[in-house]
Amino acid sequence: MSELATFVTLGFRHIVDIGAMDHILFLLALAAIYRPRDWRDALWVVSAFTVGHSITLALAVTGALVLPTPVIEFLIPLTIVATCVENLAVRDRPRALWGGRYRPVFAAVFGLVHGAGFANYLRSLFVDQVALPLFGFNVGIELGQIVVLAVAAAALAALDRVLALRVRVVAVSAVVALIAVRWAFERSPF
Amino acid sequence: MRALLGVLAALAAHPLHTTLTEVEQRDDAVQLTVRAFSDDLRAALTRDVTDSTAARYVRSTVTLADREGRMLPLTWCGLRRLDGVVWLCVRAAGPGGVQGLRLRVGLLFELYADQINIVRTSHDGRRGALLFTRGDPPRPLP
Repeated sequence: MSELATFVTLGFRHIVDIGAMDHILFLLALAAIYRPRDWRDALWVVSAFTVGHSITLALAVTGALVLPTPVIEFLIPLTIVATCVENLAVRDRPRALWGGRYRPVFAAVFGLVHGAGFANYLRSLFVDQVALPLFGFNVGIELGQIVVLAVAAAALAALDRVLALRVRVVAVSAVVALIAVRWAFERSPF
Repeated sequence: MRALLGVLAALAAHPLHTTLTEVEQRDDAVQLTVRAFSDDLRAALTRDVTDSTAARYVRSTVTLADREGRMLPLTWCGLRRLDGVVWLCVRAAGPGGVQGLRLRVGLLFELYADQINIVRTSHDGRRGALLFTRGDPPRPLP
């Protein structure tokens, strides 16, 4: 196995593992408002999240941004809560700010936070040669996210058979937000 | 519902369970430098990480055999701490190069089901990599 493939595998396994519930629930919160026919919008949002990850990656590699891990671990559930609150608050997206097209922007900002979480880990372990591990790990994370999103889309489509869209959005967002609020309290560095 | 929330909350901790082992030829010996997160190692040892406890743990979880399958004794060559990571060093004398040696890195598998141990090799200007998960057998070094 090549070195790059090793780190791609590490990233992929990390994100699809059941222990990666915070990333999985964030993706679920992002996807909660979309129907199968909205796949282009969902793709934009997830791509923006990827851009956020990649920016953090570059900053971490150059050492331009070093954030304390406890703060990052605390901010991650807050990004989930914020996404859920946005899901619940915005009922009529076409009439929302920018016609609801701001979502990729906040997904990108939240991607920065999630990216910083794993960048901190990898930087301390691969202190002398961090570029290839971080790049490979990030690619693996993105591939894993596609798998997670595909599963989430299937689960949401199944819910649509028994729930109206708005009820589905409220139910999924409320449950995810509850879990994330608990995580935020548990991880609070204050 | 409360039980489900409890289970999900327990899964919230999202650390990266991994170690990195660098394998390289040093004079007449093959040197393995293992990097592990300090908190993981402390949890595995259930006590402070010292030369003696770490050496015993590494020898019980890492195996190196020659190309005929004979086990090579691992000699302890020290540890150092850097930014939350412990670097552990062991050496095997005289196996005649890195390529083809059979290595297994089983660090922390008893602790974490999602543990992944990465191995990087470098010899003659070439680099290679291996990846060990729980249950993996020894593998020949690239």
